[in-house]
Amino acid sequence: MIIALEHYWAEYGCVLMQPYHTELAAGTMNPNTFLRSLGPRPWRVAYVEPVIRPLDGRYGENPFRFQHYFQYQVVLKPAPENVLDLYWGSLEALGIDLKKHDMRLVEDDWEQPTLGAWGLGWEVWCDGMEITQWTYFQQIGGFDVELVPAEMTYGLERLAMFLQGRRTAFELEWAPGISWGEVYRENERQWSRYNFEEAPVEVLGRRFDEYEAECRQLLEHGLPLPAYDQVLKCSHTFNLLDARGAISVTERAAYIGRVRGLARAVAQAYLESEGAEDAFAAA
Amino acid sequence: MPSLLLELGAEELPAAACREAEAQLPELARAQLGVPPARIYVGPRRLACLVLELPGRTAEQWVKGPPVALREQAAPGFAKKHGVSVEELEERDGFLGITRPGRELREVVPEQIDRIVRGFSFTKSMRWDESGIRFARPIRWVLAKLDAETIMGETSFGHRFTHGEVEIGHADEYEARLREAGVEPLAEERRRQIVAGLDAIGSWTDPGGKLEEVIYLVEQPLVLEGRFDERFLQLPKRVVVTTMQSHQRYFPLEDNRFALVANGGDPEIVRAGHTQVLEARLEDATFSFERDAGVGIDALAERLGSITYFAGAGSFAEKGERIHRLVERLGGGEASLEAARLAKADQASELVREFPELEGYIGAEYARLAGYPDAVTKAIEEQYLPDTAGGPLPQTEPGKVLAAADKLDTLRVSFGLGHRPSGSRDPYGLRRAAIGLLRLALEGELRIERELLPDQVRQFVEERLESLLEVPVEFVRAARASTVPDLGGVGRRAQELYRERDSPAFEGVYTAYERAHRLAGRAEPEAAPRIDSELFVEEAERELAEGLARVAIDGNGELKGSLESGAELAPLLERFFDEVLVMDEDPTVRANRLRLLLDVRDTLGSLADFSQIPP
Repeated sequence: MIIALEHYWAEYGCVLMQPYHTELAAGTMNPNTFLRSLGPRPWRVAYVEPVIRPLDGRYGENPFRFQHYFQYQVVLKPAPENVLDLYWGSLEALGIDLKKHDMRLVEDDWEQPTLGAWGLGWEVWCDGMEITQWTYFQQIGGFDVELVPAEMTYGLERLAMFLQGRRTAFELEWAPGISWGEVYRENERQWSRYNFEEAPVEVLGRRFDEYEAECRQLLEHGLPLPAYDQVLKCSHTFNLLDARGAISVTERAAYIGRVRGLARAVAQAYLESEGAEDAFAAA
Repeated sequence: MPSLLLELGAEELPAAACREAEAQLPELARAQLGVPPARIYVGPRRLACLVLELPGRTAEQWVKGPPVALREQAAPGFAKKHGVSVEELEERDGFLGITRPGRELREVVPEQIDRIVRGFSFTKSMRWDESGIRFARPIRWVLAKLDAETIMGETSFGHRFTHGEVEIGHADEYEARLREAGVEPLAEERRRQIVAGLDAIGSWTDPGGKLEEVIYLVEQPLVLEGRFDERFLQLPKRVVVTTMQSHQRYFPLEDNRFALVANGGDPEIVRAGHTQVLEARLEDATFSFERDAGVGIDALAERLGSITYFAGAGSFAEKGERIHRLVERLGGGEASLEAARLAKADQASELVREFPELEGYIGAEYARLAGYPDAVTKAIEEQYLPDTAGGPLPQTEPGKVLAAADKLDTLRVSFGLGHRPSGSRDPYGLRRAAIGLLRLALEGELRIERELLPDQVRQFVEERLESLLEVPVEFVRAARASTVPDLGGVGRRAQELYRERDSPAFEGVYTAYERAHRLAGRAEPEAAPRIDSELFVEEAERELAEGLARVAIDGNGELKGSLESGAELAPLLERFFDEVLVMDEDPTVRANRLRLLLDVRDTLGSLADFSQIPP
């Protein structure tokens, strides 16, 4: 399935990327989406992203909730006029006969307050199952996008359940004779224990402060790309603290505000450095 | 005269945007084309209208310039501005001007369409390309047909997956051609088809009002019946209904049956797919339900200490304790005290995290499973009522007491933290809580002592009476200043005052109050601390004092009796004013008389602040 998507989008001319090297709560947070959506340069990219959401873990007991799962992410900037047709084509490439199913685009607007980002779009329903989150970005890091990107986030487990006719992710055939459950269930159990019970709260609190300070420092040195990694680390650290129940409601708003502030500062520095590169290219 | 068909093709518009467009399109089209459209077509992929009998050319336009008398001074400027020579200017009714010829419709329609597109205003809109146009979703095609002539665009498009481009030969054929291409363009017709399809399946329900949304989610309604596995019937009913309605937009039928509306597809495949999705969601809910039920409501209640109610307001455990104390003070019995202990337990449940809108209901279900009596479970279920302006009140006494205690606590805590609603911002729902409390007191006849409300809260709540009661605000304000001890009593007092306003007793009390207040009100600092009958000189003042002692005001009872008793002071007070000089030279006598008048005022004033009511 992943190979079919890779083929399809490579043929269209997307850069095929590999997953990012630090924990992300969504493929959108990968700098290949977040930062590249800013600025005046066109961009086409496709990649698999393992997403880590500590709060969603259920110790591998609930067959529908996990703290680790996979997204397939495609970003086309600017969105071409036939972008929806391209997307439908990708489903056909996966072997879905669009005429036989009830395919629908149901309003679902996306907002990520920690990143100062929002867009309008849909969830794509295939016979009532949400298989893709579809968004036209409008703002990233608090800045209006110059060229409106289209983002397609395929939920890989959901899509696989649909294609294989399985009722739960545990039963998915991840390779011939090997189920998703065999590969990831123990992973879920152990990480859920870590996320909810064992993650060291004090250390994490300290790390958050360190990442934040490092981010600011890197920005001062004109390094928005490494600075952005610190934003991602802050965000994941916050999610862990949240899962540990170590954040009260008031603190929560303050933490989100701090991450948003960083994301905005990085977005601004990135835009400035993009401008500098363009000036260089023009000279 | 020709017909004009305009179609804007868009990527799937949200239902709310469709409804906004439906409301705006007729006027936008009329303003641009001069004729209101005969038909409006609104669906997820298209906004269109058909205008009949449209003049083929726009009307000539007379552009008025300066008066003829000012030809010398003003004509060259006017002519230049409009790109003509002075000689070309015409005269009409003493003014110079030019006649703009009418234009061919095919020339002006593109401009008009552009203005129509830009004229829409959506609650949420977006940009998608360099044009800078904002719309609810991207516009992908425009088609304009003037009878058989295509003046903008090329073709329309049929159903997204079964039909491609659709040639519209003539403006009048639009509906027919689209129907052939798998699209029902008329929203009303789609509604009719869906309702007919649902009716044919059985007695469907739609508690969440999803039909209005589904009409705009499909272009080719396919109504199907599905059945989910019977084992999910063990879930609390509203959990099943909410899963079907708010997530999937299905229509519950009886038992394990449901109806769904698809946008085409192979019925067997579509039915099977939807059923599987619903079952997966119900499975997920079952998973949470069984875990919660395994813990049990009593153990859930014990976990509330670690869940924050809201910042500064402590945990849900603390909220539960405060509610318990308020229930005691509201005179709640065994059942309501038990319900108070368990009221917030479901906040610790997994199922409420999934279905926050079912708080209360889920707690009640868990209490039922644990064997608590109906009086307790019902109260837990009803604790958030009334939750809308005209919504139902709790039906049981324990439910009323618990609902009042919950609202009282919310108000007390929020005001204590300085969270007052401002303008349209009311994040803690304090207005709703205040009105709910008043309705529980008035319609629910629950006795709520005013002293349970701290000053600020009491003012805020009682101010809501002004809009809740159908009596002039002056009467509400007068009643609020009375010594009536309970909230419902204040409301009833306002209504009684208004009812009695023309009665002789009211007149008597009103006049007596006003006269005593006018004379003594400002001299209050000079008044004696209490009446000393030894200091009375005149018969009239002694009689007034005796009359005052006889006045029987019943704080809780009906106003009428108290008014009649108070009105007996009126003639005594009149004689007093005739025969007694209040401002006596002897300061002790004067102070004593002032006190007498103030006591008259305050005794009558305990019924209401009559000075609020205009004469």
